[in-house]
Amino acid sequence: MIQITGLTKVYRKGAPPAVLDLTFDARPGAVTALLGAEGAGKSTALRLMLELERGQGVTLFDGRPYRRLRRPEREVGVLLPGPGEGVAAVAGHPGRKAQGHLRMLAAAVGVPARRADELLEQTRLATVAGQRLRTFSPGMHRRLALAAALLGDPGTLLLDAPTEGLSPRNVEWFHSFLRSFGVAGGTVLVTTRTPQEASQLADRVVTLDRGRLVADQPVAEFRRTRLSPEVAVRGPQMARLADLLVSQGAEVRRDGSVGLAVAGIDRTEIGELAYRHGILLHELADRVVEQPAPRVVLPVASGRSGHLRVRPVPDAEASAEPSPEPVVDPVALDPVAPDSGASEPATDEPAPGPALPSAVGPAEPAEPAEPAEPVTGPAADAPGSDPDRVATTPQRRVPRPQDDASLPTRALPVAVVAALPALGTPAPRPAEHDDRTERAQLTQRTERADRTRRTARAEPVERSGIGAPAPTVAVDRLFRDDPVPADVPADHPVPAGEAARAKPPGRRVNADLLTDDTVRLRRLTSGATAAPAPATTDDHRSE
Amino acid sequence: MRVLAYELRRLCGLRSTWLLLAAVLIGDAAVAAVLASQTPGGQLAAPAGVRLLTATVPLIPLPFAALGAGVLGALSYGHEVRHPGLPASLVSYPRRVRLLLAKLLVVGPVAALLALATLLLDTVAVHLALPGGVTVAAWAEPAALSARVSEVVSGAGLSGLSDLPGFLAPLALPAGHGAPAALLAFVLLTVVAAWTGVLTASLTRSAAVGVLLLCALPPLLESGVALLLRRTGRPWPVRAAELLPFQSGIEWAYGWVYGGAHEAVVGSVSLTDPALLAAVAAPAAVLLLAALLVQARRRTP
Repeated sequence: MIQITGLTKVYRKGAPPAVLDLTFDARPGAVTALLGAEGAGKSTALRLMLELERGQGVTLFDGRPYRRLRRPEREVGVLLPGPGEGVAAVAGHPGRKAQGHLRMLAAAVGVPARRADELLEQTRLATVAGQRLRTFSPGMHRRLALAAALLGDPGTLLLDAPTEGLSPRNVEWFHSFLRSFGVAGGTVLVTTRTPQEASQLADRVVTLDRGRLVADQPVAEFRRTRLSPEVAVRGPQMARLADLLVSQGAEVRRDGSVGLAVAGIDRTEIGELAYRHGILLHELADRVVEQPAPRVVLPVASGRSGHLRVRPVPDAEASAEPSPEPVVDPVALDPVAPDSGASEPATDEPAPGPALPSAVGPAEPAEPAEPAEPVTGPAADAPGSDPDRVATTPQRRVPRPQDDASLPTRALPVAVVAALPALGTPAPRPAEHDDRTERAQLTQRTERADRTRRTARAEPVERSGIGAPAPTVAVDRLFRDDPVPADVPADHPVPAGEAARAKPPGRRVNADLLTDDTVRLRRLTSGATAAPAPATTDDHRSE
Repeated sequence: MRVLAYELRRLCGLRSTWLLLAAVLIGDAAVAAVLASQTPGGQLAAPAGVRLLTATVPLIPLPFAALGAGVLGALSYGHEVRHPGLPASLVSYPRRVRLLLAKLLVVGPVAALLALATLLLDTVAVHLALPGGVTVAAWAEPAALSARVSEVVSGAGLSGLSDLPGFLAPLALPAGHGAPAALLAFVLLTVVAAWTGVLTASLTRSAAVGVLLLCALPPLLESGVALLLRRTGRPWPVRAAELLPFQSGIEWAYGWVYGGAHEAVVGSVSLTDPALLAAVAAPAAVLLLAALLVQARRRTP
């Protein structure tokens, strides 16, 4: 049992903390994965647990900090990446033989040399026991390091990126070993970078983002919320197929130039559908797509620590009650904003307490498999009443790994800066900000909206389900049936295309599909009566 | 005990250890032979004999054996920094201190053995390489023997070393007047150099920097101690000056470099002068203290 409480590490004064208030438990009999991108603070957290680095927070191994353990090697096995970067990490002195190395460490731990030989067998290194370490491959080095960690027969294992850069065979071996170690009642805490590995290996997944804990989920929940299956479809007539799929209730996203990524519908169904409608397919494959973790909002410019806010995952409930906080954020972060320094209207209390529960938000939204559009819901029922929600939702969605995310988060404050001098008030009302933010985004996205409209254009708005995040389509939908033009005051010039789309959503449903299609066809083929199949291929090529 | 066992296994399991020891032995013997072959004819006095045996080359801060032992010590600590076997197990301070002490304990005897081995080898090498015209004073004249040796020799019923069989002739080299004490000091110097290597490497966390620091220490220390002694009005003992491998510091401190008279300042203070001992022991104590203090501030070796 490892109890980790409040681990915090700040490398330099004023710098953002590498790890902030990390609290979770690693239970015996289970594998706990610490998941995070590179630089998220996983290794720092692990070193803090062992007190290899100075920092705040307490880590108890069965009730004692690591330094106070009488025989630490007998209770906690530690595998840290050796000297050398990544794959080049070595387990020991390159001139030493594997057996000698392990026997030497056995002497340090206080176990007989016999135990070292046993472990060489166990880690499948017995055949190369007499070879020098400089001849070892990364996988052998890693296994030897694991053998060293196991010398004292510990009940707890702490591993820092044990499978990083290894061959699939070694990765598999590590996974099976760690899983069996956990099943046998041991406590395993392992860091990893890839969500797929976390889902394969762990029983519990703790997600870190820039040093903050953003989710602590059992693996089933993790799989449900963070990994979504989808089907990659490729072929020449994808636009037609997309229409059909959407009418079947699938979520469709463009994937490259001639491909679709379809979620919410089975592979076989897609194949059947294509066959029935005579659509040629070149590829039809299952795959797993990683959903991004809920992100933590950090004050980018200011060095004030503890100024933490977690942006919850956009689910319908959360967006139904819009709070002004995330909207004020860009103003607070904006270095040029007149009110950023002195009066500080935007620097609210740092609220890690309420923030953390909402960070676990991804637990709440339902299965991504369910074909539903979350954003259309709020957009359809309250087009003008709630401007800041509309402004925040794209902001929340920004850090997606797909190409829609090319609207960076940074773009938002810049847009506000552009709008602010015109306002001239030191502390503008949030709502106004949103209008302007929105408009700035709108102008940026005009042509993007044009493009993105295509894939999701035939979605019936009535199916605006509540609660499903369906992030990929949601972005498209947002651009498509944005209710913003309705909110924009008349004095603002709105592009013609946007104005045309600014209709009540209900009326648009069928017309939208038609006009969009015809507009597209006309533009591309210069003939409104062109056959659909060549039009679509053209269309894809035009990207 | 576990730490000692670990350290022994670590030291013996490394090929570099044996290579280094062999290189020191061979290099030392070669230098001694070359030096011996260039000695002028006539009687070889005891101090010159000692210089040949320890293969002391002027302007090198330490004799080869001491340098080798220092490198061994520095590598021994640098190994923990570069290739930590169980990095997390050295988090607690007592464990790191124990490891440091174990390293000192293991490296000290190894250095002493190394010094003795070089002396043995050099004796043979020098004996073989001495030109024909050179005679070792201690072999021919019983008066040139050191007091202890002559007691032993007379106790055995011999009048002098020349009564011994011929193959024992190399024994005359380390048996001259004052030579045994000088050679003992040489062994001690080697051990101290090894310890210093461990400590400097632990201070700097790097074997290379530790060795460099080790090389820089003798001139600095000699100059410092000599200046200190001069300020207190005490002369630098002749015996100590004879033993020192690197005398530039003293020469500089006493102005010999510019032709000052040696005899004017060099008195006949014994080696056990408390001021001298204190002046020599203080830097070592400071080094050890610094190493322990720095360890207390760290989390890893």
